Amino acid sequence: MPIRSDEGASCGVASQIRLHKLTKRYGTVTAVDDLSLTISALGVFGLLGPNGAGKTTTLEMIEGLRQPDSGEVWFGSLDVVRHPQQAKARFGIQLQTSSFFDLLTVAETLDLFASFYPKRLATAELIARFDLGEKAQAQVKTLSGGQRQRLALAAAMVNDPEVVFLDEPSAGLDPQARRHLWELVHGLRDEGRTVVLTTHYMEEAETLCDELAIIDHGRILATGRPKELISERMPGALIELAPDTALPAQPHFAAMTALDRTKDAITIHSSDLSKTLVDLVSWASQSTVDLAGIRTRSSTLEDLFLSLTGRSLRE
Amino acid sequence: MRAVLALVRALFRSFTRNRQGLFWSLFFPVVLMLVFGLLGKTQAVNVKLAVAGGSPAFREEVSRSLSRSTIFTVTQMAPTAALSAVRSGSEDAEMLLPANAVVGQPAVIQLYYNNANQVSAGQTVGAVQQAVSQINVVLSGRPPALTVAAQPVSGSRAFSYLDFLLPGLIALTIMQGSLFGLATALTRWKEQGVLRRFLATPLRPVQFLGATVINYMLTNLANTVIIAAIGILFLHATVQLPLAPLLLAVLLGLAAFISIGFLVAGQAKSQEAVIPLVNLISFPMMFLSGVFFSPASLPKFLAVVVSFFPLTYLANAVRGLMSGQLTGTSGALWGDLAGLLAWTLLCGLIASRTWRWE
Repeated sequence: MPIRSDEGASCGVASQIRLHKLTKRYGTVTAVDDLSLTISALGVFGLLGPNGAGKTTTLEMIEGLRQPDSGEVWFGSLDVVRHPQQAKARFGIQLQTSSFFDLLTVAETLDLFASFYPKRLATAELIARFDLGEKAQAQVKTLSGGQRQRLALAAAMVNDPEVVFLDEPSAGLDPQARRHLWELVHGLRDEGRTVVLTTHYMEEAETLCDELAIIDHGRILATGRPKELISERMPGALIELAPDTALPAQPHFAAMTALDRTKDAITIHSSDLSKTLVDLVSWASQSTVDLAGIRTRSSTLEDLFLSLTGRSLRE
Repeated sequence: MRAVLALVRALFRSFTRNRQGLFWSLFFPVVLMLVFGLLGKTQAVNVKLAVAGGSPAFREEVSRSLSRSTIFTVTQMAPTAALSAVRSGSEDAEMLLPANAVVGQPAVIQLYYNNANQVSAGQTVGAVQQAVSQINVVLSGRPPALTVAAQPVSGSRAFSYLDFLLPGLIALTIMQGSLFGLATALTRWKEQGVLRRFLATPLRPVQFLGATVINYMLTNLANTVIIAAIGILFLHATVQLPLAPLLLAVLLGLAAFISIGFLVAGQAKSQEAVIPLVNLISFPMMFLSGVFFSPASLPKFLAVVVSFFPLTYLANAVRGLMSGQLTGTSGALWGDLAGLLAWTLLCGLIASRTWRWE
């Protein structure tokens, strides 16, 4: 599997983030394995992978929150591993489970965080922007999940950061709150900020991210724009059959490139959908095999991940 | 500095809004003090005495002599009725006069008393013996050879239990507020991810730790002042307040227990784990270090062990200063302060080596 290397990548934008041969071990487990990556300073960058892939560890090493065992992290010309404090002053960080003092109000929490930075945005402005006006004087313990999430975002913005890091931002949110979050993230991008986020939701990666790195076992499997990743690596279309369809022992249909069997479906990959379909249907009518439940669709990131790792994202 | 001050203010706000914390750190010691302070007030001794037996004239004479004292409430009864009254508790004691006793002849008076409560039984027997010896003096017409003239010490004040308890409660409040309060709060913040969120800002760990120490010093100092004020102004505890050495003792006590709090919170992984650990440390001290009673009554080997407890050092220093037994120049005071300093340094050092942010 060819992995796109970032070595020798041009440093066009001053504040791009470069990871070079980053490694982190916990005991005998290698969470991040010799990982190199360049994150351009524009748009929303996503680290997509299943739970335990090393996304959070990678993100926290970029943020200066966790020391790598070896390797380098550069934010423009700033060495993040050596000067994490300077990097943190320019970053806005939302952790996977951000908690704040339960007994402070929303406004007090934002004031507190603002006091940690030399550069700051006005609390009232943040409260209005993240739709926390009703709860400005309410204690943190009274907030709902969505409100907590927006407070975490607002707290990540108090220093007017150049880069905003979001670790699994939509985990545990209902669909409506998730849509709202996506709008806020797009708003950050439109202001010219870089957003780096982790996710294991394929839909989020596809609709929210301008660029993606697919990560598993602490290694990068592929990087690129979501649509291009799919069209380059998973061209063609897919035909799904019921899992108990009685196919021949060594099935082969015209223009078929691969066949996967999971407990939910048999998936036939095709480089030319109409050729494969005609062949499949004529075989089925001759063999009197029932194709009830057959459907066709285009490839998704989920299919790409499955083809790269042999596993599903949701496992 | 701005960050540290903002954090101290935030921590202080959290402290004042934490009702459960306020209950244990402030309300609970005040209630303890009220209960012990009011119960401990010395009550006038009253002995209900049944006088029985003897000739009616002799019995009448003895009863009248006893009734002159306000201590006794005397009732004349038949011997068996008197005995059952003592058993049932309606009388404290039965004084059984010998049947053939006459004035001027030696006689033995039997005293039957209820010894279910040893303290009041002792008071009863003592009061009766004293009264009988006075009656003897009156009857014999000779003055006693020796008398005791009791003089209260420490000026003219009476030393009440509250005077003993108040310094102990101050020491206990300092331990609970800084050890229990700090260890549970740090563990909770660690578990919820509050500490990690602070680490994701340019705030330095030492700034966070400094703000926490300042906050716990201030809040516990305030608690101490409030408890002392209630004890002195409302419950009329009679104590001395040599401010400079007292403040030094309290600050060193806070430093010692804050260090222990950090040590414990650095080890514990969860809220569930930290509370038993803190109780394991604080309960023996609460009961043995001389908060409620003097450790002098402990077995000798235990007293030696207890004398090295941080709460023992603190209670001794605070009580010594507030009772006037120690002054700022007493060697014993500086011994206690050195003990607190040693605990601070030892636990602070171990805590800084073993502390985990997550």
